[in-house]
Amino acid sequence: MSHRSFRWSALLALLALLFSLPFLALIGLAVQAEQTVWGHLWQTVMPGYLFNSLHLALLVGLGTLLLGVGSGWLVAMYDFPGRRWFEWALLLPLAYPGYIVAMVYMELLDYAGPVQRTLRGWFGWKTPRDYWFPEVASVGGAGVMLTLVLYPYVYLLARTAFQQQAGVLLEASRMLGRSRRSSFWRVGLPLARPAIIVGVSLVLMETLADFGTVQLFAVQTFTTGIYHTWFGTNNPSGAAQLALSLLACVVLLVALERHSRKLQKSQSRNLVVRPFPRRVPARPKQWLAVLACLAPLSLGFLLPSAMLLMWTWQSFARVHLDAFAEDALHSLLLAAFAAGCAVLLGLFLSYGLRLKTQRSLRWVVRLVSLGYAIPGPVVALGVLLPFSWLDREWLNPQLEAWLGWKATYLLSGTVLVLLFAYLVRFLSLAFGTVEAGLNGITPGMDEASRMLGRNSRQTLREIHLPLLRRSILTASLLVFVDVMKELPATLMLRPFNFGTLATRAFGYAAEERLQQASLWCLTIVAFGLVPLVLTNWKMRSASERATAPPSHRLSPVADPAES
Amino acid sequence: MIRCESLFKSYGAVQAVQGVNFEVASQEFIAILGPSGCGKSTLLRLVAGLEEPDAGHLYLRGQEISGPRQLVPPENRRFGMVFQDFALFPHMSVSANIAYGLSGARSEKQARVQELLTLVGLPHLADKMPHMISGGEQQRIAVARALAPRPQLILMDEPFSNLDYQLRVQLRRDIRRILKQEGVAALLVTHDQTEAITFSDRVFLMYAGELVQTGVPEVVYRHPKNLWAASFVGEANFLEVSHASGSPETSLGPLGASGVGSLARRLMVRPEEIRLEVPSRAEDARAVVREVEFSGPVKVVEIEMKDGQRLSVHTSPQSNWNPGEGVTPVLDRYLLFDASGTLLESPTGAAG
Repeated sequence: MSHRSFRWSALLALLALLFSLPFLALIGLAVQAEQTVWGHLWQTVMPGYLFNSLHLALLVGLGTLLLGVGSGWLVAMYDFPGRRWFEWALLLPLAYPGYIVAMVYMELLDYAGPVQRTLRGWFGWKTPRDYWFPEVASVGGAGVMLTLVLYPYVYLLARTAFQQQAGVLLEASRMLGRSRRSSFWRVGLPLARPAIIVGVSLVLMETLADFGTVQLFAVQTFTTGIYHTWFGTNNPSGAAQLALSLLACVVLLVALERHSRKLQKSQSRNLVVRPFPRRVPARPKQWLAVLACLAPLSLGFLLPSAMLLMWTWQSFARVHLDAFAEDALHSLLLAAFAAGCAVLLGLFLSYGLRLKTQRSLRWVVRLVSLGYAIPGPVVALGVLLPFSWLDREWLNPQLEAWLGWKATYLLSGTVLVLLFAYLVRFLSLAFGTVEAGLNGITPGMDEASRMLGRNSRQTLREIHLPLLRRSILTASLLVFVDVMKELPATLMLRPFNFGTLATRAFGYAAEERLQQASLWCLTIVAFGLVPLVLTNWKMRSASERATAPPSHRLSPVADPAES
Repeated sequence: MIRCESLFKSYGAVQAVQGVNFEVASQEFIAILGPSGCGKSTLLRLVAGLEEPDAGHLYLRGQEISGPRQLVPPENRRFGMVFQDFALFPHMSVSANIAYGLSGARSEKQARVQELLTLVGLPHLADKMPHMISGGEQQRIAVARALAPRPQLILMDEPFSNLDYQLRVQLRRDIRRILKQEGVAALLVTHDQTEAITFSDRVFLMYAGELVQTGVPEVVYRHPKNLWAASFVGEANFLEVSHASGSPETSLGPLGASGVGSLARRLMVRPEEIRLEVPSRAEDARAVVREVEFSGPVKVVEIEMKDGQRLSVHTSPQSNWNPGEGVTPVLDRYLLFDASGTLLESPTGAAG
């Protein structure tokens, strides 16, 4: 082994250790805890968490399946007024984090909210006992909220699958005497099944990872459970055990997703992608299709946006603009810094992978690429544990001895730990994007550049960086936006009295002062729109063929360990 | 069996099919031949019912299946179709693919699937999945699947273009035999003239959305209707015809005079219709040999005439011409075209 490759390996090993630290800490804590903690959990809260989480997952899974596959099929197969616009607009709800939609509907549909007030006015009801109204703050309510913001995952994957691979096969089916409907059930749907399963498993990962919505609606799930066990009952080992149980579910989902992606790849081989002639249904049916597409779009995007705009307008005079400026600055700085670090590390990892293909290295990459699936509270807990231990056992005594400082918690009490948590969660995103870009640069280009008299550094500067610019930009943007939206890890790890857009908005909402939070919410959503607009632009410029992922979850995160 | 009357189809500004008329008899094999973008695939898809025509009629045994008031959907036309990429359903086994278009009792289906697998010579692949078998095998299975519901007409869209050369020739022969055996009519779309000529009973030559010429391959080859047809089907040499001296002549000398000679502007001659002779005297040579290329069954000799025009000549592989040698080309047969590029009913005479 040469010196250089040894250096690479050493650095990568270090990185691996760093990124596995949170999980090792979780496992360590969970194992070391007394048996009674586990038993106690099972006797008290665990069945409730498990039931609620599964119940929620079932609701959201079915809901997104229905909305996503239905709208995907309509847009892919039929022509109706506004179809081209819906094709993209149906993705818009992705800009909303679940907790913001939840806040809006909470405000709208609450007992004191405008909807119930109006109904009471109309029918002359006086008390809550006079009528029945669905309770928003329930498992069902949370299920609806998450369905509204998560269905685009299923929609996009299903639509692409219907459009791209089934087209010619549906024609073949019809030539063999099957009607449109029969072709959908016998060929279209079975072929899109892997893509749909990928979509639904991504939705389920997001559902299990959701913290804001369920916390707001006071639904006890794993994520809120971790939070309460840790902060409420100050029981880190209990929290760690909950976190590990949740992790196990997530790993199952990841396995399902990867398997389906592979299946999808093997099925779509050597089929020519040809645009499929869309059918123009009769007028009334066209309007039904418009309605079917408009419903999820309005509920998941148009209505909440209108409400937020209105509330921002109404409350603008009362908003603490200096507080907003401070929170926005915090969010921007954190997001920018995290994006920069993630891209640098992503570049480093993908180059390491290009230069060396050892098994150990692939293991590191796989570990990193798992990060995106791990719920925020789990990451937060896993990150905080080792850092606070370091502070307590090592750094604080040292500082006290040397400088006379007392109990500073230099590592665990500052934004450092927050940044690290962001990296654990979002590095895979930067890595996947950069790697996809790097894969476009063939070894032949490197060799040609070297043969034409450039050394490796010049090749990097003159060939690789210009070619990678786009993916580097995309990667930083995606990380940036996701950090802006991130709630639970920020909530759990932020330094004392340090607010971001997300935490402040959530804080307002928890105090039922939502209208004041609307400026914060609006800003987060505006940033969330950026990748979608980018997607739209890409889709138009590179024709329909390139369905660029509007969210990292939709682009297959590279799993080089399998290649 | 199937008749098509002034069929039109456009995509925005692009006129893909412009007033096409034709008729196909039972068990007849037709090749629609044309360059890419000429509208031949669109024509096939209109017949299939996968596209709706803007105007025109289609009749199947006298029954209208496509017209302004009547549009039978593809599934009710009962035509078989073989796609360019075969379009086998990747989630079904080979036998499930073949059985897909069949209805009726399980045992009947099974029997038909077996029969077809035997017909295409692949009975051992019944339980394989499509991605596990080779391109040529996929092709045969696609044909078997299209034939399974016993269609009267089978449509094929560039079915051989995804295969390599040797396989293509072999499969073309096999599939022609299989289709003849099943007694179906076939409509094959291709841009490959060899494929069209060897596969079909009649060729429909298509250019810019219109049928330029239809006929038996040999007739299309020997009597192309215009200059484009002459150059698209087979290899063609062209010479300018001048009337400077009062009678038509080319750089090879005066043409045998006839009634239409005065209208002639271009002369077309196939490479195999030119003989090369050694001039009796060196100064009588009308052309010089420039390049000689041996290509197996023929030797291709390129000659240049005094005015710089070049001709490609097929000679026997045993001939022995060398670059720089003077030769006298003799035309065994040629065709004349008028100023608009249309074939003149000319005598097939000798010149030079």
